[in-house]
Amino acid sequence: MTSIGASAPVSSFPRAPVVLVAMLGLFVLLSLCGVAFGSTWIPLEEVAKVIAGFGEKTQNLIVLQLRLPRVVAAILSGGAIAVAGYLLQKVTRNELASPGVLGVVDGAALGVVIFLAALSNESNALVTSIAFQPLAAAVGGLCAIALVFALAGNQATSAVRLLLFGIAVAAVAKALTMVMMLIGPIYRTTQAARWIAGAVNEVNWSEIQVTFVALVPLLAITLLIARRLPPADLDEVSAQSVGLNVPVARLLIFALAAALTAVGVAFVGGVGFIGLMAPHLARMLLGRGVHVGLIGSFLIGAMMLVAADLLVRVLFSPIEVPAGTVTAILGAPYFLYLLMRKQSYDG
Amino acid sequence: MKPRTAALAWPVSATYAGLAVVLVVVMAMSLTLGYRIYSLDQVYRALFAFDGTDTSVIIANLRLPRAVVAPMVGAALGIAGVLVQTLSRNRIASPDTLGLNAGASLFVVMASSVLGVSSLMGLSFAAALGALGAALLVFGIAATAGGLSPLRIVLIGVTFAGLGHSVVEVVLTTNEAQMQQLLFWLSGAFVDRPLALAANGAPFMIVGGLVALVLSRALDALQADDSTAASLGVPLFIVRGAAFLSVSLLTGASVAMAGPVGFVGLVVPHAARWLVGLRHSRQIVAAALIGAIYATAADVAARFVIYPIEAPVGAVTAVVGGAMLLILLKRRAA
Repeated sequence: MTSIGASAPVSSFPRAPVVLVAMLGLFVLLSLCGVAFGSTWIPLEEVAKVIAGFGEKTQNLIVLQLRLPRVVAAILSGGAIAVAGYLLQKVTRNELASPGVLGVVDGAALGVVIFLAALSNESNALVTSIAFQPLAAAVGGLCAIALVFALAGNQATSAVRLLLFGIAVAAVAKALTMVMMLIGPIYRTTQAARWIAGAVNEVNWSEIQVTFVALVPLLAITLLIARRLPPADLDEVSAQSVGLNVPVARLLIFALAAALTAVGVAFVGGVGFIGLMAPHLARMLLGRGVHVGLIGSFLIGAMMLVAADLLVRVLFSPIEVPAGTVTAILGAPYFLYLLMRKQSYDG
Repeated sequence: MKPRTAALAWPVSATYAGLAVVLVVVMAMSLTLGYRIYSLDQVYRALFAFDGTDTSVIIANLRLPRAVVAPMVGAALGIAGVLVQTLSRNRIASPDTLGLNAGASLFVVMASSVLGVSSLMGLSFAAALGALGAALLVFGIAATAGGLSPLRIVLIGVTFAGLGHSVVEVVLTTNEAQMQQLLFWLSGAFVDRPLALAANGAPFMIVGGLVALVLSRALDALQADDSTAASLGVPLFIVRGAAFLSVSLLTGASVAMAGPVGFVGLVVPHAARWLVGLRHSRQIVAAALIGAIYATAADVAARFVIYPIEAPVGAVTAVVGGAMLLILLKRRAA
């Protein structure tokens, strides 16, 4: 941001909407590619035909039962995690924050495995509706982040300290998840790779339906209260002076972020670093506006997970490598770069 | 904060003797307790008067290796923890919070599945190399970024560890490894480790431990700060290099034997300092004994937390270690 005066006419040009439209186009293209690529290539126009309802039988089967579910799952959970990351970064005024390092993801995973282990009968069938799985994830995630902030207390103002509390809580939650996976029905242990790394390949339509139903109201609430998000550079006193009740707003946003993350990971598992990177990218491309930032985060997060899944399919096919490993491998160096760049995080 | 310590309330030799007794007791528990509970008499017959019965076979082939591997790994990680905490002057550092465990397991997995190394010796070397690489990388980053705070170094180390785990996961899944194997290389276990592995790792650990003991005076001086140590005539570069080598041998050998068993190196040094004070010659011996006790006890506990199924011991130590890390952070120990 140098020479603001000179660039004033340029910056008055509405850049954000244009970028947003371009992003949307890229998003649609990438999603279609996500459906088109795989062990057999299906041309894009065929994909469009199937989705419009005029496809052949075999292609219908491949697209609707195999390819489309994983793309849709990737969109929903990548987007949800990214939005949660945006909210957390905003409300903690900490650009290193994300659902992963604050323990939300591992807490949510623990919630789910406890739910599966506690509510299954002898024949390994769930005694209750699977629709409750995101709820269990949300409770777990919320408990974890509450624990992190309760333990950190006034140390939470230091970016690095807060993260270490989060990492410690996450480590405990992860270990407990491993133990719970062994208690639970054996066949679910084979699904555990999802929980360790995050994979979209086994998600089915009924799980997507549950995710979708839970996600839409959460995103709507997020967009509605976005206006009331405390600005990043606003401390509590000045916030109160303009009529914002910071503690309550903050609590609400934590709950919202935990719920979004939980819905995002409930069926897909922990996906590393999307919650960190997508909001950064959104801010870089779209500026500081809250609404465009949220929408941009959702699109970028969705694209990241779709692209990661596409990458593992192209690189390792026919073996199913969890998509979360790709985002973790790409995200970790970025996180390291952020850590090394600034000394001001210690507080 | 005042260092809370029980040090020197009684002679150090008495402390060592007490720890040794406890170690013998937990090792006996490791041999007798489990899914089946055996008597000491049965254990004695299996080990010293082998009669070929099922009981003897189980004890000699399944229980004995665990009762040997667990204390070795615990002792090695305990000593490595003491060295790492002194080298980084950081009370929340440990081979795993600095990513050394993950580096070692990454190199083992790479060596065995990409390069096709299968000899135990080769894998132990790979593990030591991986630990050394991770140590140099993390400390190198800290040095080039102009002295990072202890907290930041640990964050970098943890991130490296996560990165290593992800790569391990990719390598193992593309090699169609079983879930069991994946869990092993991500969290560590003492189950089903052949005694040959222990015999192979022992020289690495003995050399690493001896180097640590030789360095103990220099490490005492290093504890304060570099200029004090230098003015006391400590050759900083040599001492650091030797200490890194020792840490790498200890961590590498333990990872080659049992996978990355989490947070042992974080917890044990604190207990050692509490018991015997800050002098390294004592800290190292005490950490070896306490580490051996801790890992063996955790291994026994892992058999019972979700009885009759066995939990991975790495999960048990991670829960204890994570809680310990929270306590240390809360007390602002770092």
